[in-house]
Amino acid sequence: MANQLMLNDIKYPQPIEETLAQLEIILSSQVPDLIPKTISQRSWLLLVIQKDAEIWQQLRARIHHYQPIEALIEQTQEELGMPITEAIALSRQRWGMGLEQQVLQESQSDRYQIGERLHQLTVNPITGFPLLIFILYYGVYQFVGNFGAGTLVDLIETFFEERINPVVNEWTATIIPWPVLQDLIANDYGIITLGIRYATAIVLPVVATYFFMFSLLEDTGYLPRLSLMLDRLFKTMGLSGRAVIPIVLGLGCDTMATLVTRTLETKRERIIATFLLSLAVPCAAQWGVIVGLLAQKPAALLLWGLIIGGIFLLAGYLMSRFFPGNIASFYMEIPPLRLPKIKNILVKTFVRMKWYFWEIIPLFIFASVLIWLGRLTGLFDLIVGWLEPIALALELPREVAPVFLYGFFRRDYGAAGLFDIQSQMGLTGNQLLICAVVLTLFLPCIAQFQVMLKEHGTKITMAMVAFIFPFAFFVGYLVSQFLNILRISL
Amino acid sequence: MSCHDCSGQCASKSSSNWLKLPFNKTSSSTNVLATTAEIALVGMPNVGKSVLFNTLTGMYVTVSNYPGTTVEVARGKAVINNQTVAVVDTPGMYSLLPITEEEKVARDLLMQESVNLAIHVVEAKNLGRMLTLTFQLMEAGLPLILAVNMIDEAQRLNIHIDTATLAEKIGIPVVKISAAQGWGINQLKGKIADYVH
Repeated sequence: MANQLMLNDIKYPQPIEETLAQLEIILSSQVPDLIPKTISQRSWLLLVIQKDAEIWQQLRARIHHYQPIEALIEQTQEELGMPITEAIALSRQRWGMGLEQQVLQESQSDRYQIGERLHQLTVNPITGFPLLIFILYYGVYQFVGNFGAGTLVDLIETFFEERINPVVNEWTATIIPWPVLQDLIANDYGIITLGIRYATAIVLPVVATYFFMFSLLEDTGYLPRLSLMLDRLFKTMGLSGRAVIPIVLGLGCDTMATLVTRTLETKRERIIATFLLSLAVPCAAQWGVIVGLLAQKPAALLLWGLIIGGIFLLAGYLMSRFFPGNIASFYMEIPPLRLPKIKNILVKTFVRMKWYFWEIIPLFIFASVLIWLGRLTGLFDLIVGWLEPIALALELPREVAPVFLYGFFRRDYGAAGLFDIQSQMGLTGNQLLICAVVLTLFLPCIAQFQVMLKEHGTKITMAMVAFIFPFAFFVGYLVSQFLNILRISL
Repeated sequence: MSCHDCSGQCASKSSSNWLKLPFNKTSSSTNVLATTAEIALVGMPNVGKSVLFNTLTGMYVTVSNYPGTTVEVARGKAVINNQTVAVVDTPGMYSLLPITEEEKVARDLLMQESVNLAIHVVEAKNLGRMLTLTFQLMEAGLPLILAVNMIDEAQRLNIHIDTATLAEKIGIPVVKISAAQGWGINQLKGKIADYVH
């Protein structure tokens, strides 16, 4: 049959074929009954060599000395210099593409080739990384950071502070006689003057610009290619390329990104991604402030980038080593690169903003209530008291302590506070770096904490928080000691 | 995990499924379908398998969860050459090495049911990428027809596929169809008829 002819052509790289032959001899003598009747023996052996979970479960149950078989497969892998699964997939892709070329005629092959070339540019690390940096700089830093988090936030903030807050403050002052309750609604930390203002003035513009950029990248087909390029790097962190999307989202807003970890396949991957987001992925508000503060000290900015990047990779690597479970595997269908339609992008952006706004508004209201309670009960003063010696140990002025606490509840306070201290006392480059590192490693905000509770439950969230807070200070301490010992002043 | 106990469990327990239960009950006369699918529609997600399935089977359809999973599998009957044959619409799969639950179910269906014929549905404009699964189905030794779908869309993109050469190269029948437009369905049925006994 012609069918047979073609089948004989389907040959994999020599090491694989040799191992298949050896496996055939071993397995057909030891466990002939495990070889299914419904599919061919070769097909089954290919699944064995690719370590198919279900088949290996059967093999381990039946064969006492399965280790030599595993060693054989390991050895094949070493000979190939790549995972067997990948080598097999590559062979098949090559045949597929070869056949396609023979039977597919396109009158527009130029366009196709441009598409193919662009595809290569995005997935090849040599061109892909510069492209990524370019996109991060213009798309995220300039558009979201400067335009969204800067210009737009200022505009809406000013509107709130000049038109809405005074009116709300005045009204509550006349309607509610008790100052304590007035503070719940209005004034510095009220539900309307802080919670609602925060959600609309700060989060909304950042999220709108970020979602716009994200939808644009999504519709062009860039994101799956980014996932493909980063897949190998992410695997060392126990994540699959799929996790690129929430991590990139985290650069806009970690809270939103934590919600998006839902799309990851395994619980293990969801937990690792959430942990990395909370620890080492600064949100737009965080890096906006940090870049602003460190802009005058390029060396400090560079060190900050290296420290956070290093912690991101190391934490991921350690999590993947010691956290039980299998590494998530990844196969994503790569859609063609397309010119996006602006209408679709706007609709997507709008739908996402709406979704996000309603998820987040209750959290901000809740945060206002928490701040109100914290101040009312004196709990906040107590915590600031605890934080002061820590600030001093990090060789920071004691005025930084409230910044750490309030920064957790309202990011702009943390930022403005730092800017104030900076202009009044002139923090040194070293102190700025330490502040920046500690603030980045912290949970970005209370909303992030609440979303973590919602997505992963109390136990896991508490474990993460119990690690992250001391760890942030500890790294700050290490950095300060390190700079001291090497007598570096930035 | 064997699927042979399926007929009892198919109208099963999972909470998302109980709403459909009455429907399953009424079609219990078709229970024999649950164990013997003669034709399986196979392919990657979003290639139009379900549209083709609906076109082939019309109204004799049951949808139920695959035992022990949340994956839904649709089964129905098609009339080919005055004969009634059972058709199963397998969940989307990229390869025989499963990653997701859907892929696992799709593979189990192929490995454990007595499939007389697999119809691999591929998207015309992504033919090369999708042939990777065709090779695996061929390797598995399944009787196979390749249905190149969305041929109307490909034509709009000025893509022409030489199915005769393709069929010759891979040694299995190849049919161009557009499930959404109903094109090529009769030719496909004609090819299926060669395999149905």
